[in-house]
Amino acid sequence: MSAPICSVSLAPGADDNGFALMLSQLIRQNVDERPEKAVALSKMWGRVAIQVMDLGMSVTLRFADGRLTVYDGVAGIPDITVRADAEWVTKMSLVEIHPRFGLPDPRGEVFQEIQRAEKAGEIETIGALSSPLLLLRLNQVMSVAQA
Amino acid sequence: MHEFPSESWTAAFADAVNNNEVYRTHGKPWTFGGVAMVISADPAVGIEDDTGMFLDVHEGECRSATLKTGMDSFADAPFVIVATYERWKKVINGDIDPIKGMMEGKLKMTKGHLPTMLRFVQSSRALVTSATSVPTKFRDE
Repeated sequence: MSAPICSVSLAPGADDNGFALMLSQLIRQNVDERPEKAVALSKMWGRVAIQVMDLGMSVTLRFADGRLTVYDGVAGIPDITVRADAEWVTKMSLVEIHPRFGLPDPRGEVFQEIQRAEKAGEIETIGALSSPLLLLRLNQVMSVAQA
Repeated sequence: MHEFPSESWTAAFADAVNNNEVYRTHGKPWTFGGVAMVISADPAVGIEDDTGMFLDVHEGECRSATLKTGMDSFADAPFVIVATYERWKKVINGDIDPIKGMMEGKLKMTKGHLPTMLRFVQSSRALVTSATSVPTKFRDE
């Protein structure tokens, strides 16, 4: 699989936000090394806000045209908003990816743990029903689990 | 009590890592090289140059630990985490969780493969928090 050219960058002012730095580094290293993640990123359009409730931090990921720009705080109107504590946000990067389909694996232990946390209200995801593909691909580009 | 940072503190830290059951268990598959924990220069507490501990960790064991001075001395370290003296002090006192600290930008991973570190999030946390069990004397107290 030849990987499409993708770029990951920080919006002005986002380099003071440790979470923005961490997410951009994580996704950049993921797409640089895994062509299937670069393909997923190249197909993503929209904005995802992630609010880390216990740390009082938030970032917005803006996907367009194979480019990801990470903003400090909530920037624009997000298609998806995820609200959770740091522990869960970290865990979201451990969601198992199905080796064949390249999408989150519903049989995975972490996937199921996150589903339970969503049901218990510990993770709130707004916009999942209206932007399901964006959410699935977000899981794909963020995940560090080995397929 | 071991003064932080010092060679004796570094040796005690290595012992603490090796006595940490959580680290031994979750770090077992770790074969990605050593980790440097670096304190930024802070002349106010007598740290004239960046100083840190390089931990040669492999398969859940700390094979050696070395105190080094100057950022250049960590050039070969696969993973480098940098913070101020004040923030390492909070980590050692258990007041900062290392993973949350990184998310907040209080601890900065200036070198290393973040996906690997996150894949080993439990062992990474256990490695750093082993420092809480070292009897520590801080220079500013």
